[in-house]
Amino acid sequence: MALLEIRKLEKVYTARFSSQKTTALANIDFSVEGGQFVAIMGESGSGKTTLLNIISTLDDATSGEVYLGGKPLSSIRDKEMSAFRRSTLGFVFQDFNLLDNFSIRDNILLPLVLSRTPVDELEKRLLPIAENLGIADLLDKYPYEVSGGQKQRTAVARALITEPKLILADEPTGALDSKSSRNLMETLKDINSQGQTILMVTHSVRAASFADRVLFIRDGAVYHEIYRGAESPDDFTDRISQSLTVLSGGGGRRE
Amino acid sequence: MNSRFFSSLALRNIQANRQLYIPYVLASVAVIAMFHLMASLLTNEFVRTRAASLTMMFEFGTVVIAIFAFIFILYTNSFLIKRRKKEIGLYGILGLEKRHVAKVLLFEMLYTGLVSLGAGMLTGFVFGRLFFLLLNYMMNLPVQLDYSTTGVTALMTAGLSVSVFLLAFLYNISQFTFAKPVKLLKGSNEGEREPKGSVVLFVLSLAFLAAGYGISLSMDDPLSALTYFFTAVLAVIIGTYLLFVSGSIFILKALKRNSRFYYRPAAFISVSGMLYRMKQNAVGLANICILSTMVMITVSTTMTVFVGTEEILENQLPYENNWTVYGAELTPEELTESFMSFQDRVRETAAEMGLEVTGSEAYRFQSFAGEISGGQFEPRRDIRGSGDLPLFLQVIPVADYNRLIGASVSLAPDEALFYHSDESFSAEELTFGGTTYRLSPADPASVTEDSQGITETAMLVVPDLLHIRRISEAYYADVEHEVMAGIDAHVAWNTDGTQEEKKAYAEAVESLKAGYPTSNYRSRIAVTEEWYSMNGGFLFLGVFLGLLFTIGTVLITYFKQVSEGYDDRGKFQIMQKVGLDRDMIRDSTRSQLVWMFLLPIAVAVIHVLFAYPIVRKMLLLFGITSDRTWLLSFATVVVAFSVIYFMIYRMTSKVYYGIVR
Ligand SMILES: Nc1ncnc2c1ncn2[C@@H]1O[C@H](COP(=O)(O)OP(=O)(O)OP(=O)(O)O)[C@@H](O)[C@H]1O
Ligand SMILES: [Mg+2]
Repeated sequence: MALLEIRKLEKVYTARFSSQKTTALANIDFSVEGGQFVAIMGESGSGKTTLLNIISTLDDATSGEVYLGGKPLSSIRDKEMSAFRRSTLGFVFQDFNLLDNFSIRDNILLPLVLSRTPVDELEKRLLPIAENLGIADLLDKYPYEVSGGQKQRTAVARALITEPKLILADEPTGALDSKSSRNLMETLKDINSQGQTILMVTHSVRAASFADRVLFIRDGAVYHEIYRGAESPDDFTDRISQSLTVLSGGGGRRE
Repeated sequence: MNSRFFSSLALRNIQANRQLYIPYVLASVAVIAMFHLMASLLTNEFVRTRAASLTMMFEFGTVVIAIFAFIFILYTNSFLIKRRKKEIGLYGILGLEKRHVAKVLLFEMLYTGLVSLGAGMLTGFVFGRLFFLLLNYMMNLPVQLDYSTTGVTALMTAGLSVSVFLLAFLYNISQFTFAKPVKLLKGSNEGEREPKGSVVLFVLSLAFLAAGYGISLSMDDPLSALTYFFTAVLAVIIGTYLLFVSGSIFILKALKRNSRFYYRPAAFISVSGMLYRMKQNAVGLANICILSTMVMITVSTTMTVFVGTEEILENQLPYENNWTVYGAELTPEELTESFMSFQDRVRETAAEMGLEVTGSEAYRFQSFAGEISGGQFEPRRDIRGSGDLPLFLQVIPVADYNRLIGASVSLAPDEALFYHSDESFSAEELTFGGTTYRLSPADPASVTEDSQGITETAMLVVPDLLHIRRISEAYYADVEHEVMAGIDAHVAWNTDGTQEEKKAYAEAVESLKAGYPTSNYRSRIAVTEEWYSMNGGFLFLGVFLGLLFTIGTVLITYFKQVSEGYDDRGKFQIMQKVGLDRDMIRDSTRSQLVWMFLLPIAVAVIHVLFAYPIVRKMLLLFGITSDRTWLLSFATVVVAFSVIYFMIYRMTSKVYYGIVR
């Protein structure tokens, strides 16, 4: 059985002050096996963030259902929802969502503290991740004192620190230079090889090439998907680019 | 770009930031209304005419509220404008000149200031009118107080508001003129920094508090107490702000350093949140502390005056009706005749009015001051010279003794009964006025003089009035330059009936007095009424101010919770995305309880305790000397106010929780 199954998902936004409707997701249908690393690509506004938000229970679908480990998410009761988010999911937000009242250290530790992790355990988990992501020197600074890329890596560290079963990352490399991007992707790949499932939205072909599988979304539906076979990373990168070109009728972004 | 443009931009800004502006304007309205009311009291008839010192006290009060209003509005403004730095920084980046930004800020300040001033004065006026009516009705004092206010009051309030909002405007301008746009863009996010030299601030705060407390402790007469009270209050207010700013930050940082405490959900969220806006938090707590102190001091003082007065009246006049005949110019026979006939008349009058005498005491007596030495009672030669009081010996006839306690003792001519309050004299015989009496103990129940454990009293029961006469002659033969006093008679009694019936009865008895020229009649009702018509206004004002400050505390606490709620809402939303649940939000709201609830109250209680010596000196003006009364009132007020404040806290926390949830 697949770890994550998405069935006929539909999401329609109704504007606040008019009856104008935006269909963000039309009919999304796919499943993800446990331990897979999936990249999701698509134009801006195609519904990627919306999809991740629904999977992570931050938003409700208009219709359709998401099953995690065979269990429909809509059956999780309100009370268990927070605990579910803390223990099972790691979310890297597109706009970081760091808190200004916490230092970088405390921002990363937040989900652990909320799960009442013992103090000794906190530092033990924090240091390797912070070092891996190159933010170990910034731990005592505050979000408004660090760069955009450093904020992004902090957001990634916060998602990884609970060692969640499913990691949802919304453009985790969006604010990073190519070296840091590569670094981050290798970290994710590493984590993935230890068994954690990753669902990552990206505009970068280079980043997507680290995945086992790439989904292409257009107008709120899965338009196309490709799997990495035994081919070399470069070949896979080329294939992703070609698919993108077809998808948008233009060229994909290359780094 | 003309003024119309800036004016409408300013209005739109206020509208867009209404979550910040509504609580801000409401709190400003409350503070201005409070000042307006206080200033109105200066024009109050009672305050102006009762005593010069009362006018002075209210002038102090008005200045204190003015200072509070300044600090409160300026600080609140500075926190508000910090939240808007990003928005206003953007104007600069988008091309608005600095003087144009200043114009927008000016219009914003003009609108909020005018609304606060207008609504504040109106609220003050309506509140004053309404509560004076209500209190007059509820307290039902013999004199009614009228709420009054004049153009001068309005001018004072307007002057205060204009200067405070002008200062706030200048502050805001300075914030935007000298800062770089980038700094402004980040300004809204940046946490507050610890003030420089917080150790120095802490030492300073202790110095100010010590000065204020010291003044209170060192006052030794009511008048200097009145004069220095103001200085002490000012010192304590300054000390309180400094203490909270330096102290609370110090404690919060210590809590954060203790990682076993800090890294638990509730503490993690609340401590980091309070540190993030440490100054705002500290000033908010200090505001609450100062208002709480004002509430507790006014209410407990008022209550002390009220309870103390009732006690004094009760002590001085244990019976409702008290009648004394001075017998200096009467023969013992004449005195006895008056004594007997008056008692009959009292009963008759009561019966005529359908009342019954429910309790009474009646006796003839003469008091002598002196001392007992060597089995002999002697007049004290140097009454004025030595420090300690003489022994007061009351001599009564055995017939009256029997009537007082319902006994049937009979005494031989050389026998007497004796009672001494501290039982230091226990000889068998006492010589007084040439007669040596053999003593037996008198029943203490017959002792009418309440020594209250302060003065030494003694009673001697002799066979009849002629013995007293003889003793008196011998006593005054010994004492030169003193007018000989005679045997007096005392009749005191209660009746049943309603308050009105008792009052009518007292008037009837008063008219009986005409038949008894050397007598004096006092009814408790009349004395009480006289006291209240002299001093009832103090009680009224005390209750009024207590109410005013309590409402002020409610609003300021409410303001703190609401403005922080809107501040924190975004943070809680993000944390919920990361897995914060409702229970934890509730926990973290609750874990601020210690701060919001205990800290200001605890410091306020300490303030009130230290205020006691100086307040006590001022209470002497009302004749209140009992510490017990004050302690009881104080304990009651502290408990009652804590309960009220706890309820305020719970209610406003619910509001906070409703906002961030
Ligand atoms: N809260 C909302 N209310 C109304 N419409 C929304 C809302 N959020 C998103 N949309 C709309 O839904 C569509 C999908 O948005 P979404 O954020 O999922 O795009 P995206 O694929 O993540 O784009 P990007 O790559 O730019 O992040 C867009 O047209 C967007 O305007
Ligand atoms: Mg997106």
